[in-house]
Amino acid sequence: MVVLLSLFKVLLPLMYLVVWGAYLWLFQVDHPAPRRWSTRLGIVTVLVHVLSVVVQSFALHRLPMGAPLEFASLLAVSLLATYLVIELRMKAKGTGFVVTGMAFLLEFIASSFRTTAPDASPLLRDPGFAGHAVLVLLSYTALSLSFIYAILYLVQTRQLMNRQFGLLFRRLPALETLERMSIGAVKMGVPLMFLSLCLGHLWMYDLRGRLEPDMAAQLSPWDPKIMVSWVIFLGYAVGLVGNRFLGWRGKKMNILAVFAFAMILLTLGVVQHFFPSFHKFYSSHGMAAPAAALFPVLTVGRRTLT
Amino acid sequence: MSDRSSLHVRSINHHHAPTEIRERAHLDPEKAVALMKALEAEESCVSALPVSTCNRTEIYLEMRPGGDPDQSLRRALTEIGAEAELFAGLHAVAQDGMPAVNHLFRVASALESMMLGEPQISQQLKDAYRLARKHSELGPVLLRAFQGAFRTGKRVRTETRITSGAVSVAYGAVELARKFFSRLCQHRALLVGAGETGALAAKHFLQHDIGHLTVVNRSPARAAELAAELHGERVAALARKSADDPDLEVVSPQSDPCGHVSHRPWEELGEALAEADVVLSTTGSLEPVILPEMVQKAVQQRGGEPLFLLDIAVPRDIHPDVAGISGAYSFGLDDLDEIIQGNKAARQKQVPYAEKIIAEEMREFETWLDEMDLRPTVAEFKSYLEELKDKQVGYVRKKQSDEVAAAVDSSLQQFIKKVLGRSMSTLKNAESPEERDRDLDTLRRIFTEEQRKIKDRPVVED
Repeated sequence: MVVLLSLFKVLLPLMYLVVWGAYLWLFQVDHPAPRRWSTRLGIVTVLVHVLSVVVQSFALHRLPMGAPLEFASLLAVSLLATYLVIELRMKAKGTGFVVTGMAFLLEFIASSFRTTAPDASPLLRDPGFAGHAVLVLLSYTALSLSFIYAILYLVQTRQLMNRQFGLLFRRLPALETLERMSIGAVKMGVPLMFLSLCLGHLWMYDLRGRLEPDMAAQLSPWDPKIMVSWVIFLGYAVGLVGNRFLGWRGKKMNILAVFAFAMILLTLGVVQHFFPSFHKFYSSHGMAAPAAALFPVLTVGRRTLT
Repeated sequence: MSDRSSLHVRSINHHHAPTEIRERAHLDPEKAVALMKALEAEESCVSALPVSTCNRTEIYLEMRPGGDPDQSLRRALTEIGAEAELFAGLHAVAQDGMPAVNHLFRVASALESMMLGEPQISQQLKDAYRLARKHSELGPVLLRAFQGAFRTGKRVRTETRITSGAVSVAYGAVELARKFFSRLCQHRALLVGAGETGALAAKHFLQHDIGHLTVVNRSPARAAELAAELHGERVAALARKSADDPDLEVVSPQSDPCGHVSHRPWEELGEALAEADVVLSTTGSLEPVILPEMVQKAVQQRGGEPLFLLDIAVPRDIHPDVAGISGAYSFGLDDLDEIIQGNKAARQKQVPYAEKIIAEEMREFETWLDEMDLRPTVAEFKSYLEELKDKQVGYVRKKQSDEVAAAVDSSLQQFIKKVLGRSMSTLKNAESPEERDRDLDTLRRIFTEEQRKIKDRPVVED
């Protein structure tokens, strides 16, 4: 099992790199070979990654989603899988190099600095965690895609404004398509986030009755991470209402989508770094030394429930 | 020596002949049929297939061994009253054997077209092929070559991007608009001016299912006339579509949500602008007719949705200050030209991939041709082996039970299959055509001699 896990740690970033390379090659020269193989490579990578998650789950007796780097790895596969579905439905590969690039980056960081976390919180073995975590993962995947498509919208707008009719102009889809994809992703992400928050609250109340009093006291609905998540949810919901009823469209709407995602990263980073939260299910022993050094945010201010 | 027929092409095309020569060489369908008949009457010609478009007149001929395609063609052209000397002159190109096949595959892939990757050539070749099949019986080589050409063309169109990207102003306008609005059917276009260029661009937008088109012109009568003309063409196109696809609902002009065309008076240009997503301006005005304040007002009503303006008039119709208005994207002829040049360069980059496909299809055609050479000899060899087998099985049947005879028959059948397979593969893998001809001769000699002997000799006893 350990050998297999070590193999996946090396294999997965390489596979993501190959997929990204194929999409980059396709973007650059529109060669028939990557056109034929890029999607297939992507599908194989997703399957191998899913297999690695299954193996990891058996090895850890829990979903590998406790530590931020484990979450990053799952976000990579979720992004790639969602992108492949979109690509196959819309028959457009023009945005593949960006999404697969982001997936590669996430997987590379995750695989390079992650170790299995043997002393992770027992909460992660609770069945309630799986449902909550999967919904969180899906909602963040949707919001990440919305961010990517909003960025591409702004890039294409810039190309058109500056009359630059190069590769980006030719390969990227229409502004209308990019906007539809970005808003469509938010439309999926917002209800998923709402469900994940509701399920998280229910799980928390359920746990309170089962945990010892001092541990149960730490489970607060006023946890900064939960509060920030509600603010993010409300922000995106207002955006959707504006788009639907107030005619918020075009460049301004996409700037808003980019801004919103940037705020997610910033606020979650700040909360993780400066505020105590029960949403830390790992210890520093569960993380590789370089990661602890590079990402102090992941190890400082920790109050684990273990 | 191979006794198969061969393919030849005599071509007058835009690479080597000026328009005047191409016009003289053109063959209308009637003349093309007459030429096919005349060539079929030639003893050395198996069949012929003329292809005549505005850029090329090419005559593909399948000739029997030793036949002279030039002499046959000259006689046939003279017979139908065409200018025979054109196909023997300076402007004609002659290709024989595999180069002729290569040329056909390149033509079908639009690599030889004046506009690289243009889509019409495929239909033109198919029309010529249908005409030929209707009026004559094509020889096996010509038939196979054209089938291979259609397959090659289809592969090149689908596996490469040689046909992608606009290379004309009118289509370039649509392509640029589609960088803003992917579903043109849900958007409205405004045509300012009712000139020829504008009408052509408008037709392209209608072909690409623009939701609604409004024509605004200084002369209301001309605007109404053009709107009616465009609407009529649109309805006719939809009717044709319905006829081609029986599953499609028959569309009436009033119920069609896409492609409805209307007109408005010149005084309502501002209002029409505010309602449009795509604006095409093509007036002959010496002063700009689309002013910044009009565009500003239109943009304010759009809630951030982009307004696409295209000026294809000289001098320009759209005031240069419009370019500075946020939410309005104004383009001109220079921009379209830049896009077209970029697309041409992109198509050119696809040529090596198309040539790779052609090379693959050429190899397949060559293999087929080789097998065609081998087929008669192998068939004879097979019949010889089967004759031997039947004799042997008959002998067994006399001496043993039917079951034993059936088992021997089945076993020998397997044996024959293996021997034939091995022989075919050895012949196919010969290092040179000469070596293969020698092998074929040897094989033929062995079994012909054996066949003769076997008739005088009783079958082998067990």
